[in-house]
Amino acid sequence: MIEAVGLTKRFGQRTAVDDVSFTVRPGLVTGFLGPNGAGKSTTMRLITGLDRASAGTVTVNGKPYAEHRAPLREVGVLLDAKAVHTGRSARNHLLALAATHGIGRKRVDAVIGMAGLESVARQRVGNFSLGMGQRLGIAAALLGDPATLILDEPVNGLDPEGVIWVRNLVRHIASQGKTVFLSSHLMSEMALTADHIIVLGRGRIIADAPVSDILAQAKGAGAVRVRTPDIARLTGLLGEPGVVVTNEENVLEVSGITAAHIGELAAHAGIVLHELTPIASSLEDAYLALTQDDVEYRSTDEGSAA
Amino acid sequence: MSAIVASSPGHLSRLSFGGILRSEWIKLRSLRSTAWCYAIVIAVTIGLGALYSLNTQGQGLTADDIRGLAVGSSTLGVNFAQLVIAVLGALMITGEYGTGMIRSTLAAVPKRVPALIAKCLVFGVATFVVSAIALAGTAVASWLVLSNNGIHADFFDGRVLLPLLGAAGYLALIGVLSLALGAIIRSSAGGIAVALGLILVAPLILRILASVTRAVWPVNVSAFLPNSAGGLLWAYTSGPTAPAQSGYIVLTTLQGGLILGAWVIVAFVIAAILLKRRDA
Repeated sequence: MIEAVGLTKRFGQRTAVDDVSFTVRPGLVTGFLGPNGAGKSTTMRLITGLDRASAGTVTVNGKPYAEHRAPLREVGVLLDAKAVHTGRSARNHLLALAATHGIGRKRVDAVIGMAGLESVARQRVGNFSLGMGQRLGIAAALLGDPATLILDEPVNGLDPEGVIWVRNLVRHIASQGKTVFLSSHLMSEMALTADHIIVLGRGRIIADAPVSDILAQAKGAGAVRVRTPDIARLTGLLGEPGVVVTNEENVLEVSGITAAHIGELAAHAGIVLHELTPIASSLEDAYLALTQDDVEYRSTDEGSAA
Repeated sequence: MSAIVASSPGHLSRLSFGGILRSEWIKLRSLRSTAWCYAIVIAVTIGLGALYSLNTQGQGLTADDIRGLAVGSSTLGVNFAQLVIAVLGALMITGEYGTGMIRSTLAAVPKRVPALIAKCLVFGVATFVVSAIALAGTAVASWLVLSNNGIHADFFDGRVLLPLLGAAGYLALIGVLSLALGAIIRSSAGGIAVALGLILVAPLILRILASVTRAVWPVNVSAFLPNSAGGLLWAYTSGPTAPAQSGYIVLTTLQGGLILGAWVIVAFVIAAILLKRRDA
């Protein structure tokens, strides 16, 4: 369980996280979405106390992270895959972290096995690929068998097998009643992995809802594909404000109006339709629709985009 | 996925200072740079000591001269060893900032300061032990070479043994001072530059100032720098200190040691406050 209230982080003039409040609940995989520079990583660093909040509070399992007697057992965190000394072997890195909490070698070898790093565990991390570094970071996050798992871009750099591994892993951990909070810029991945999504844009929460709600909300904004022998007349009928019609090789793509409405208009005018298909919107569309709503914000901040 | 359930990390595991010490010990051991630097310290100290002893002849030496020779030959390498130790000390922490390891360290020890204390303790003790081994090795080498030249030095004489122990303590304190400076600066290049600047360059500048201005104060300021104050820990003193020239400050061994200790404590406190305050 992660609870943030009025969380704010300013770096000089720039406000990276702006009065953000949210709750990440146990038993679910909560996705954290947002464009680069939206403040996702900063928020995760605030949760684990690596950055000090300028205002507001954030607790993990009821207490600030630093107040826990066994922080690694409360929260496992992958902040970025580079939080490892390149001169040390993967196993020694994990042994050193485990030692702080008196976690034994057996657990270290177990997480090495879970992450599929057995063959490279004694190699220096400096020689690791991005994907292997990512696996090591996830192994480190799992060391304390934590009640809450925070993963910043866990599938970044992973091969397809690794992506599936992470997906199954976080679903399994959430099914044990634990809290999972992971950020990603891959919306398609989120659609498959997350139950709940928090969308962050320019340091503020744009959406905080179950994945199904966000997808449903986006349906209305989705486009409709229309085929008709009478393109000119239909296009004329659809000339309402807010309706956009694009014609590509005699297939119309209409947005800003529902398929039902198009069908009614055509029927009234006696126009034959050969196809009338709502284009299923992806989470990507939903996400873009959400962030596009944030127009005011965008235009004012365009110049200082990070 | 059953592996997650099968091997839990044990229910008694929690963060403890003993655990943090163990963690820092694992970190120290598992870097190649540590082994290399310590090997250089041992090789340089023993090598220089033996070389120095080789070129001494036994005729007409007083017992005092011989003790001075025993201390001098054994500690000749300290001047070089301290540079290696200073670099290693700064790298102990700046290496973590450079690679991002510091975030893993501070996520595991979110109160932060215990991690810095553990780092200083582990590095200080390890450096003391390695330096003591190096100096013991040098003492043996010097004893063998000097005996061969007809000079019989008693290395177990307190006036010889204490400066040798003092040299090991000096190297450990210089190492911890550099570590604290590295924690303040947070970059390898900057940390090493400041540590070596304080040990090597600052005394040089003051010496030049003293000779150019013929003033007393640069000499007196210099006496309080880590290497000159701390250097008293491993200097051979034949008896009661000679009366000071008017205006020049002369420190005792104890005072010198305390001043170096004060440098270490001040640097550590600044480092701890900054570590606690800054974003990692």
